[in-house]
Amino acid sequence: MRNRPDPVALLALPALLYLGIVYAVPLAGLLVGSVVRPGGVTLAPFADFFRDPFHWTVAGNTLRVAALTTLVCLAIGYPTAVALARARGFAQAAILVAIILPLSVGVVVKAFAWQIVLRRDGVVSQILVGLGVWDEPQRLLFTEAGLVIGAANVFVPFMILPVYSVLKTIDPRVGEAATTLGASPLYRFRKVTLPLALPGIVSGIAFVFSMTASMYVIPSLLVGDRFQTLATLTGRSFLFMRNEELGSTTAVVLLALTVAIVVGSTSLSRRLGGSS
Amino acid sequence: MLPAAFLDIAGAAKTFGSTAVLGGVDLAVRRGEFVSLLGPSGCGKTTLLRIVAGLTAADAGRVTLDGLDITRRPPHRRDVSVVFQSYALFPHLSVAENVAFGLKARGTARSSVGPTVARFLDLVQMGAYADRPVKALSGGQQQRVAVARALAVGPKLVLLDEPFSALDRRLREAMQIDLKRLLREVGTTAIFVTHDQDEALTMSDRIAVMNRGRIEQCADPATIYHRPATPFALDFVGTSTRLEGRVVRTLGDEIVVTTPAGLLRAPGHYLPGSPVLLGVRPERITLGDGGGNRVEAVLVDASFKGARVELHLTAGGAPVLVEAPALPEGAAPGAALTVSWASADTLVYPAGEAA
Repeated sequence: MRNRPDPVALLALPALLYLGIVYAVPLAGLLVGSVVRPGGVTLAPFADFFRDPFHWTVAGNTLRVAALTTLVCLAIGYPTAVALARARGFAQAAILVAIILPLSVGVVVKAFAWQIVLRRDGVVSQILVGLGVWDEPQRLLFTEAGLVIGAANVFVPFMILPVYSVLKTIDPRVGEAATTLGASPLYRFRKVTLPLALPGIVSGIAFVFSMTASMYVIPSLLVGDRFQTLATLTGRSFLFMRNEELGSTTAVVLLALTVAIVVGSTSLSRRLGGSS
Repeated sequence: MLPAAFLDIAGAAKTFGSTAVLGGVDLAVRRGEFVSLLGPSGCGKTTLLRIVAGLTAADAGRVTLDGLDITRRPPHRRDVSVVFQSYALFPHLSVAENVAFGLKARGTARSSVGPTVARFLDLVQMGAYADRPVKALSGGQQQRVAVARALAVGPKLVLLDEPFSALDRRLREAMQIDLKRLLREVGTTAIFVTHDQDEALTMSDRIAVMNRGRIEQCADPATIYHRPATPFALDFVGTSTRLEGRVVRTLGDEIVVTTPAGLLRAPGHYLPGSPVLLGVRPERITLGDGGGNRVEAVLVDASFKGARVELHLTAGGAPVLVEAPALPEGAAPGAALTVSWASADTLVYPAGEAA
């Protein structure tokens, strides 16, 4: 009686089976493949990997693009989430549709659209020249900045939605109480809104960072082969170079880095949010 | 003769969409006074409160506090604290941190924050809970923390928006007495929004009865109860017998009115033929013929209220409500009873206003 499992927990079984077959088993194979060599288990592939400066560049590219994209998504997504949480009726529905609808457009289609927008005579270049930011038209396509712009466009909904879902649960009276107690708008944001929104911001960062760090199609289309990330290198190793050893090594490095940063930032923000 | 008001609201008006929520409200509050805004939901009382706090911008009008025009001053620089209906405590902070919030936000010296927080937590008997998270508190305890938080900053004015409506009756009555005592101790001027007439009568120095965006009457509780200025005030505060009628003649300072319950006398000056509404408070009516207005009625129902008995009668088809010390001997539903009251206790209003 006491130890009988809750029958409702069985409802998770289909998802567990599915993930076990399509995720856990291949992942285990990858992890094993990265350390098992003829002659036994060894960490030598990782040592070799980090001895090559090119791989440091690749890892640096990955983390830098992921961090910048996450930052851009946060800067754009947070105000949007605030607007979405405050909006009512038609305005709210319109913003939600505008955020969710682009998710139904494939990444490849979007990336091609960005190729048009980011080229030398594209819209962005013309606007920046028109505003006097640039002296002459420049090409953003095939640059890291272009990649960040494109990736932020694809992933920004994954920042907006978790932040919005937390913001909408905050009683607006709580902010008003802070104000009437004498808190300036900035003080209120730092001491009330931000700590309360933190769980949403952390999930948004975790989503966007892990998706950006492992994106493959977007860098392939927007930058090309000259700019490698851990994900594109993994793909090339398996698909073009037929070097499965290198591929599983880079894949594990990418996995370890992403997990470390997501878990690390989560626990850090928990600690920051816990104190006042 | 007129003492300068501590808080002076002049012509406050607000329209949301096409609905006029407030239609030019004037209200003056003295220093240290406890004023209730009493009215049904949608009468504009919360909107008026939010205008004073600076949380809602008025379309027109002026708010002056302690000699300063604060009409355009942002809410965080008004020195006006608010206790919200939902308490609106900071869920990520402890009880003590909630109370300390306003002090820290105003840059109070660190050394004086701790003692002030402790003092106000003790005043609301929450000292033992200082380090608890606010989520772990009951509704009544959260209420106390919200009051301590609002008062700890030493505001010029504290606004309370139906702060007891989520509490059960027994707790609510205890909190009403506690809050009244606390505010007197601290000496804070307070405006209290409520739709509960008992709460307003219990707590207030003065009550502003609000209806449809206007203040119908602003006076001390006894005046509001015994001399309601409008049929709405008569109806909203306390119970009463209401009889519609027409003036048949005048007798000096009195009028004689024909009503379904018979001919009744009331103080006032109206032209014969004017339609009027008469009102009588239930405790003003006595059983038997005591002179003044006398009505023959039939007992419909009697409800026992502990100290008193509430008698529901009917006279000429009109309901008559009487509060008596006890049920008359042998009176059962259907019994004929004579009731009477002094003509001076009859309240008169021009008819048509009630609609």
